[in-house]
Amino acid sequence: MSSPFDQIIITESGESLEESELSLLETLDHVLNRGLVIAGEITISVADIDLIFLGLNVMLSSVETAQEVLRRREQKSE
Amino acid sequence: MPVIAHPMIGNGQTEHGYYIYCIAESAATQQLDVASFPAAIEDNAKLEWVTTNDLAALSSTVPLEAYGEEALAEHLTDATWTAVRAMRHETVVEYVAKRTSVVPLRFGTIYLERSGIERMLNDKARELRQIIERLHGREEWGVNVYSDRARLLESITSVSPRLRELVRQAEAASPGQSYLLQKKIEALRVDEARAALSEIIEHVEQTLSAQADDSKRLRILKVEATEHGELKGKFAFLVNRSGFEEFRAAAEQLAEENVAAGVRLELTGPWPAYNFTVFDRT
Repeated sequence: MSSPFDQIIITESGESLEESELSLLETLDHVLNRGLVIAGEITISVADIDLIFLGLNVMLSSVETAQEVLRRREQKSE
Repeated sequence: MPVIAHPMIGNGQTEHGYYIYCIAESAATQQLDVASFPAAIEDNAKLEWVTTNDLAALSSTVPLEAYGEEALAEHLTDATWTAVRAMRHETVVEYVAKRTSVVPLRFGTIYLERSGIERMLNDKARELRQIIERLHGREEWGVNVYSDRARLLESITSVSPRLRELVRQAEAASPGQSYLLQKKIEALRVDEARAALSEIIEHVEQTLSAQADDSKRLRILKVEATEHGELKGKFAFLVNRSGFEEFRAAAEQLAEENVAAGVRLELTGPWPAYNFTVFDRT
Protein backbone atom coordinates (compact mmCIF):
# COMPACT_ATOMS: atom_id res chain seq x y z
CA MET A 1 0.00 0.00 0.00
CA SER A 2 1.18 3.51 -0.72
CA SER A 3 2.05 5.88 2.10
CA PRO A 4 -0.82 7.62 3.89
CA PHE A 5 1.19 10.83 3.71
CA ASP A 6 1.70 13.05 0.70
CA GLN A 7 4.09 15.92 0.63
CA ILE A 8 3.81 18.39 -2.20
CA ILE A 9 6.66 20.84 -2.12
CA ILE A 10 6.51 23.91 -4.27
CA THR A 11 9.76 24.10 -6.16
CA GLU A 12 11.41 27.15 -7.61
CA SER A 13 10.08 26.30 -11.05
CA GLY A 14 6.63 25.65 -9.59
CA GLU A 15 6.54 22.33 -11.41
CA SER A 16 5.60 19.97 -8.65
CA LEU A 17 2.36 21.79 -8.00
CA GLU A 18 1.38 22.22 -11.59
CA GLU A 19 1.68 18.53 -12.27
CA SER A 20 -1.81 17.67 -11.17
CA GLU A 21 -5.18 19.30 -11.60
CA LEU A 22 -5.82 19.03 -7.90
CA SER A 23 -2.73 21.05 -7.16
CA LEU A 24 -3.84 23.63 -9.67
CA LEU A 25 -7.08 23.92 -7.74
CA GLU A 26 -5.12 24.22 -4.53
CA THR A 27 -3.15 27.10 -6.02
CA LEU A 28 -6.21 28.83 -7.40
CA ASP A 29 -7.86 28.49 -4.02
CA HIS A 30 -4.98 30.42 -2.47
CA VAL A 31 -4.76 33.11 -5.11
CA LEU A 32 -8.49 33.68 -5.54
CA ASN A 33 -9.91 33.09 -2.08
CA ARG A 34 -7.16 34.19 0.23
CA GLY A 35 -4.51 36.84 0.49
CA LEU A 36 -4.83 40.40 1.64
CA VAL A 37 -7.80 42.25 0.22
CA ILE A 38 -6.97 45.87 -0.46
CA ALA A 39 -9.41 48.23 -2.06
CA GLY A 40 -7.87 49.17 -5.37
CA GLU A 41 -9.56 51.44 -7.82
CA ILE A 42 -10.65 48.28 -9.62
CA THR A 43 -11.02 45.34 -7.29
CA ILE A 44 -12.83 42.09 -7.81
CA SER A 45 -15.33 41.86 -4.99
CA VAL A 46 -15.07 39.06 -2.47
CA ALA A 47 -18.48 37.71 -3.48
CA ASP A 48 -17.40 37.54 -7.12
CA ILE A 49 -14.29 35.63 -6.19
CA ASP A 50 -16.35 32.86 -4.58
CA LEU A 51 -18.38 32.48 -7.75
CA ILE A 52 -15.28 32.51 -9.93
CA PHE A 53 -13.63 29.89 -7.81
CA LEU A 54 -16.67 27.67 -7.72
CA GLY A 55 -16.87 27.90 -11.51
CA LEU A 56 -13.19 27.04 -11.89
CA ASN A 57 -13.51 24.29 -9.33
CA VAL A 58 -16.30 22.61 -11.28
CA MET A 59 -14.57 23.09 -14.63
CA LEU A 60 -11.19 21.85 -13.52
CA SER A 61 -12.69 18.90 -11.68
CA SER A 62 -14.47 17.88 -14.83
CA VAL A 63 -11.22 18.22 -16.77
CA GLU A 64 -9.61 16.01 -14.15
CA THR A 65 -12.40 13.44 -14.34
CA ALA A 66 -12.22 13.39 -18.12
CA GLN A 67 -8.48 12.81 -18.01
CA GLU A 68 -8.93 10.04 -15.46
CA VAL A 69 -11.49 8.29 -17.68
CA LEU A 70 -9.17 8.58 -20.68
CA ARG A 71 -6.24 7.18 -18.72
CA ARG A 72 -8.28 4.19 -17.58
CA ARG A 73 -9.44 3.56 -21.11
CA GLU A 74 -5.85 3.64 -22.34
CA GLN A 75 -4.76 1.24 -19.62
CA LYS A 76 -7.54 -1.18 -20.58
CA SER A 77 -6.69 -1.17 -24.24
CA GLU A 78 -3.02 -1.87 -23.56
CA MET B 1 -14.38 53.13 -4.80
CA PRO B 2 -15.20 51.90 -8.31
CA VAL B 3 -14.09 54.24 -11.03
CA ILE B 4 -15.40 53.91 -14.55
CA ALA B 5 -12.39 53.16 -16.65
CA HIS B 6 -12.25 54.28 -20.23
CA PRO B 7 -10.14 51.79 -22.14
CA MET B 8 -8.91 54.17 -24.81
CA ILE B 9 -7.62 57.67 -24.67
CA GLY B 10 -7.85 60.16 -27.50
CA ASN B 11 -4.77 59.24 -29.51
CA GLY B 12 -5.76 55.58 -29.77
CA GLN B 13 -3.07 54.46 -27.37
CA THR B 14 -4.13 51.75 -24.91
CA GLU B 15 -4.72 52.99 -21.42
CA HIS B 16 -3.15 51.05 -18.58
CA GLY B 17 -3.85 50.27 -14.99
CA TYR B 18 -1.44 49.03 -12.32
CA TYR B 19 -1.97 45.48 -11.11
CA ILE B 20 -0.37 44.66 -7.76
CA TYR B 21 0.88 41.26 -6.56
CA CYS B 22 2.39 41.62 -3.13
CA ILE B 23 3.95 44.02 -0.67
CA ALA B 24 7.38 43.74 0.96
CA GLU B 25 9.91 45.86 2.81
CA SER B 26 11.61 48.19 0.38
CA ALA B 27 15.04 47.55 1.92
CA ALA B 28 14.71 43.87 1.03
CA THR B 29 13.39 44.54 -2.47
CA GLN B 30 16.43 46.60 -3.39
CA GLN B 31 18.45 43.38 -3.43
CA LEU B 32 16.07 41.79 -5.94
CA ASP B 33 16.53 42.39 -9.65
CA VAL B 34 13.10 42.48 -11.28
CA ALA B 35 14.71 41.59 -14.61
CA SER B 36 15.15 38.01 -13.35
CA PHE B 37 11.59 37.72 -12.03
CA PRO B 38 9.02 35.38 -13.64
CA ALA B 39 6.65 36.78 -16.27
CA ALA B 40 4.12 39.44 -15.32
CA ILE B 41 0.41 38.75 -15.46
CA GLU B 42 0.23 40.18 -18.99
CA ASP B 43 2.80 39.70 -21.73
CA ASN B 44 4.97 42.66 -22.64
CA ALA B 45 4.61 44.23 -19.23
CA LYS B 46 7.50 44.68 -16.84
CA LEU B 47 7.34 44.15 -13.12
CA GLU B 48 8.36 47.12 -11.01
CA TRP B 49 8.44 48.04 -7.37
CA VAL B 50 6.34 51.02 -6.38
CA THR B 51 8.10 52.28 -3.29
CA THR B 52 7.23 54.60 -0.44
CA ASN B 53 9.33 55.07 2.70
CA ASP B 54 10.01 51.53 3.83
CA LEU B 55 7.40 49.56 1.88
CA ALA B 56 7.20 48.46 -1.73
CA ALA B 57 4.39 46.99 -3.81
CA LEU B 58 5.22 44.80 -6.78
CA SER B 59 3.26 45.99 -9.77
CA SER B 60 2.95 45.65 -13.53
CA THR B 61 0.77 47.44 -16.02
CA VAL B 62 -2.35 45.83 -17.45
CA PRO B 63 -4.39 47.12 -20.39
CA LEU B 64 -7.72 48.50 -19.22
CA GLU B 65 -9.22 47.08 -22.38
CA ALA B 66 -9.07 43.73 -20.59
CA TYR B 67 -8.90 44.81 -16.93
CA GLY B 68 -11.39 47.67 -16.87
CA GLU B 69 -14.33 46.97 -14.61
CA GLU B 70 -16.72 45.57 -17.23
CA ALA B 71 -14.13 43.80 -19.34
CA LEU B 72 -12.65 42.15 -16.28
CA ALA B 73 -16.01 40.89 -15.05
CA GLU B 74 -16.50 39.28 -18.43
CA HIS B 75 -13.02 37.75 -18.64
CA LEU B 76 -13.37 36.25 -15.17
CA THR B 77 -16.13 33.95 -16.35
CA ASP B 78 -13.59 32.39 -18.73
CA ALA B 79 -11.94 29.68 -16.63
CA THR B 80 -8.85 29.38 -18.79
CA TRP B 81 -8.25 33.13 -18.91
CA THR B 82 -8.59 33.40 -15.13
CA ALA B 83 -6.60 30.27 -14.29
CA VAL B 84 -3.66 31.37 -16.44
CA ARG B 85 -3.55 34.84 -14.85
CA ALA B 86 -4.02 33.49 -11.34
CA MET B 87 -1.11 31.08 -11.89
CA ARG B 88 1.10 33.92 -13.13
CA HIS B 89 0.16 35.98 -10.08
CA GLU B 90 1.09 33.02 -7.87
CA THR B 91 4.37 32.33 -9.67
CA VAL B 92 5.49 35.93 -9.21
CA VAL B 93 4.47 36.05 -5.53
CA GLU B 94 6.16 32.71 -4.81
CA TYR B 95 9.38 33.90 -6.40
CA VAL B 96 9.50 36.94 -4.12
CA ALA B 97 8.27 35.03 -1.06
CA LYS B 98 11.23 32.65 -1.42
CA ARG B 99 13.54 35.64 -1.04
CA THR B 100 11.89 37.93 1.48
CA SER B 101 8.75 38.16 3.62
CA VAL B 102 5.80 39.31 1.55
CA VAL B 103 2.17 40.14 2.09
CA PRO B 104 0.49 38.32 -0.78
CA LEU B 105 -2.49 40.14 -2.23
CA ARG B 106 -5.59 38.46 -3.44
CA PHE B 107 -5.92 38.22 -7.21
CA GLY B 108 -7.39 41.24 -8.95
CA THR B 109 -6.36 44.50 -7.30
CA ILE B 110 -5.77 47.26 -9.82
CA TYR B 111 -5.00 50.97 -9.47
CA LEU B 112 -5.54 53.47 -12.23
CA GLU B 113 -2.55 55.57 -11.19
CA ARG B 114 0.79 54.78 -9.58
CA SER B 115 0.00 57.42 -7.01
CA GLY B 116 -2.98 55.32 -5.88
CA ILE B 117 -0.58 52.54 -4.87
CA GLU B 118 1.68 55.00 -3.05
CA ARG B 119 -1.27 56.43 -1.17
CA MET B 120 -2.41 52.95 -0.15
CA LEU B 121 1.10 52.02 1.08
CA ASN B 122 1.17 55.16 3.21
CA ASP B 123 -2.35 54.74 4.54
CA LYS B 124 -1.86 51.10 5.51
CA ALA B 125 1.82 51.30 6.45
CA ARG B 126 1.41 50.39 10.10
CA GLU B 127 -0.74 47.32 9.46
CA LEU B 128 1.41 46.14 6.56
CA ARG B 129 4.57 46.39 8.63
CA GLN B 130 2.88 44.43 11.38
CA ILE B 131 2.03 41.56 9.03
CA ILE B 132 5.48 41.48 7.45
CA GLU B 133 7.20 41.42 10.81
CA ARG B 134 5.12 38.46 11.86
CA LEU B 135 6.07 36.56 8.71
CA HIS B 136 9.82 36.88 9.14
CA GLY B 137 11.37 33.43 9.15
CA ARG B 138 8.01 31.74 8.72
CA GLU B 139 6.20 29.95 5.93
CA GLU B 140 2.67 28.85 5.32
CA TRP B 141 1.99 25.13 4.95
CA GLY B 142 -1.31 23.57 3.99
CA VAL B 143 -2.62 20.31 5.40
CA ASN B 144 -5.53 18.47 3.79
CA VAL B 145 -7.27 15.57 5.48
CA TYR B 146 -8.96 13.04 3.22
CA SER B 147 -11.30 10.32 4.34
CA ASP B 148 -12.01 7.05 2.60
CA ARG B 149 -15.56 6.44 3.81
CA ALA B 150 -15.69 2.74 3.06
CA ARG B 151 -12.50 2.08 5.00
CA LEU B 152 -13.61 4.27 7.86
CA LEU B 153 -16.92 2.41 8.19
CA GLU B 154 -15.14 -0.89 8.04
CA SER B 155 -12.57 0.07 10.66
CA ILE B 156 -15.14 1.54 13.03
CA THR B 157 -16.81 -1.84 13.59
CA SER B 158 -13.66 -3.39 14.93
CA VAL B 159 -12.85 -0.56 17.35
CA SER B 160 -16.32 0.21 18.71
CA PRO B 161 -17.34 -2.06 21.63
CA ARG B 162 -21.03 -1.24 21.09
CA LEU B 163 -20.85 -2.21 17.46
CA ARG B 164 -18.92 -5.39 18.19
CA GLU B 165 -21.59 -6.38 20.71
CA LEU B 166 -24.41 -5.71 18.24
CA VAL B 167 -22.67 -7.71 15.55
CA ARG B 168 -22.28 -10.61 17.98
CA GLN B 169 -25.98 -10.43 18.87
CA ALA B 170 -26.99 -10.28 15.21
CA GLU B 171 -25.01 -13.42 14.47
CA ALA B 172 -26.80 -15.32 17.23
CA ALA B 173 -30.27 -13.92 16.52
CA SER B 174 -33.19 -15.28 14.51
CA PRO B 175 -33.40 -14.05 10.89
CA GLY B 176 -36.10 -11.50 11.75
CA GLN B 177 -34.25 -10.11 14.73
CA SER B 178 -31.00 -10.20 12.86
CA TYR B 179 -32.49 -8.00 10.13
CA LEU B 180 -33.55 -5.36 12.65
CA LEU B 181 -30.21 -5.51 14.41
CA GLN B 182 -28.47 -5.10 11.07
CA LYS B 183 -30.42 -1.87 10.46
CA LYS B 184 -29.39 -0.64 13.89
CA ILE B 185 -25.77 -1.56 13.24
CA GLU B 186 -25.73 0.40 9.98
CA ALA B 187 -27.14 3.53 11.61
CA LEU B 188 -24.74 3.29 14.53
CA ARG B 189 -21.81 2.71 12.22
CA VAL B 190 -22.56 5.93 10.32
CA ASP B 191 -22.87 7.91 13.57
CA GLU B 192 -19.73 6.51 15.09
CA ALA B 193 -17.77 6.97 11.90
CA ARG B 194 -18.77 10.63 11.76
CA ALA B 195 -17.76 11.14 15.38
CA ALA B 196 -14.48 9.28 14.92
CA LEU B 197 -13.58 11.34 11.86
CA SER B 198 -14.23 14.70 13.50
CA GLU B 199 -12.18 13.53 16.46
CA ILE B 200 -9.30 12.63 14.16
CA ILE B 201 -9.53 15.97 12.36
CA GLU B 202 -9.57 17.83 15.66
CA HIS B 203 -6.57 15.86 16.82
CA VAL B 204 -4.70 16.70 13.62
CA GLU B 205 -5.50 20.39 14.13
CA GLN B 206 -4.39 20.39 17.76
CA THR B 207 -1.23 18.39 17.24
CA LEU B 208 -0.04 20.48 14.31
CA SER B 209 -1.11 23.79 15.86
CA ALA B 210 1.21 22.98 18.73
CA GLN B 211 4.08 22.80 16.20
CA ALA B 212 3.10 26.05 14.46
CA ASP B 213 2.99 29.74 15.30
CA ASP B 214 -0.52 30.13 13.98
CA SER B 215 -3.17 28.00 12.37
CA LYS B 216 -6.37 28.41 10.45
CA ARG B 217 -9.13 26.00 9.67
CA LEU B 218 -10.20 26.67 6.12
CA ARG B 219 -13.60 26.12 4.69
CA ILE B 220 -14.07 23.49 2.05
CA LEU B 221 -16.02 25.05 -0.77
CA LYS B 222 -17.07 21.89 -2.45
CA VAL B 223 -16.83 18.22 -1.62
CA GLU B 224 -13.64 17.30 -3.39
CA ALA B 225 -13.58 13.61 -4.11
CA THR B 226 -10.21 12.29 -5.14
CA GLU B 227 -8.47 8.95 -5.31
CA HIS B 228 -7.61 9.56 -1.64
CA GLY B 229 -11.26 9.89 -0.65
CA GLU B 230 -13.19 12.99 0.26
CA LEU B 231 -11.57 16.17 1.50
CA LYS B 232 -12.88 16.57 5.05
CA GLY B 233 -10.43 18.93 6.70
CA LYS B 234 -8.36 21.79 5.37
CA PHE B 235 -5.87 23.77 7.41
CA ALA B 236 -3.21 26.40 6.99
CA PHE B 237 -0.30 26.63 9.42
CA LEU B 238 2.28 29.33 9.86
CA VAL B 239 5.48 27.43 10.56
CA ASN B 240 8.87 28.70 11.60
CA ARG B 241 11.47 27.60 9.07
CA SER B 242 13.67 26.22 11.81
CA GLY B 243 10.80 24.10 13.14
CA PHE B 244 9.60 22.76 9.83
CA GLU B 245 11.23 19.32 10.06
CA GLU B 246 9.45 18.67 13.36
CA PHE B 247 6.19 19.92 11.92
CA ARG B 248 6.58 17.64 8.90
CA ALA B 249 7.45 14.67 11.07
CA ALA B 250 4.38 15.29 13.24
CA ALA B 251 2.17 15.39 10.15
CA GLU B 252 3.67 12.17 8.85
CA GLN B 253 3.15 10.47 12.18
CA LEU B 254 -0.49 11.56 12.26
CA ALA B 255 -0.92 10.10 8.80
CA GLU B 256 0.51 6.78 9.93
CA GLU B 257 -1.56 6.68 13.11
CA ASN B 258 -4.79 7.16 11.20
CA VAL B 259 -4.17 5.02 8.16
CA ALA B 260 -6.36 2.22 9.53
CA ALA B 261 -9.29 4.63 9.73
CA GLY B 262 -8.95 5.34 6.01
CA VAL B 263 -7.48 8.79 6.60
CA ARG B 264 -4.87 10.33 4.39
CA LEU B 265 -2.93 13.53 4.97
CA GLU B 266 -1.55 15.85 2.34
CA LEU B 267 1.02 18.49 3.16
CA THR B 268 1.39 21.31 0.63
CA GLY B 269 3.73 24.25 0.54
CA PRO B 270 5.60 26.32 1.28
CA TRP B 271 3.03 28.90 0.28
CA PRO B 272 3.31 32.64 0.44
CA ALA B 273 1.36 33.42 3.61
CA TYR B 274 -2.00 33.92 1.92
CA ASN B 275 -3.90 32.83 5.01
CA PHE B 276 -2.00 34.94 7.51
CA THR B 277 -2.39 38.42 6.15
CA VAL B 278 -4.94 39.60 8.67
CA PHE B 279 -3.96 42.56 10.77
CA ASP B 280 -2.91 41.64 14.28
CA ARG B 281 -5.73 42.38 16.70
CA THR B 282 -3.49 43.02 19.67
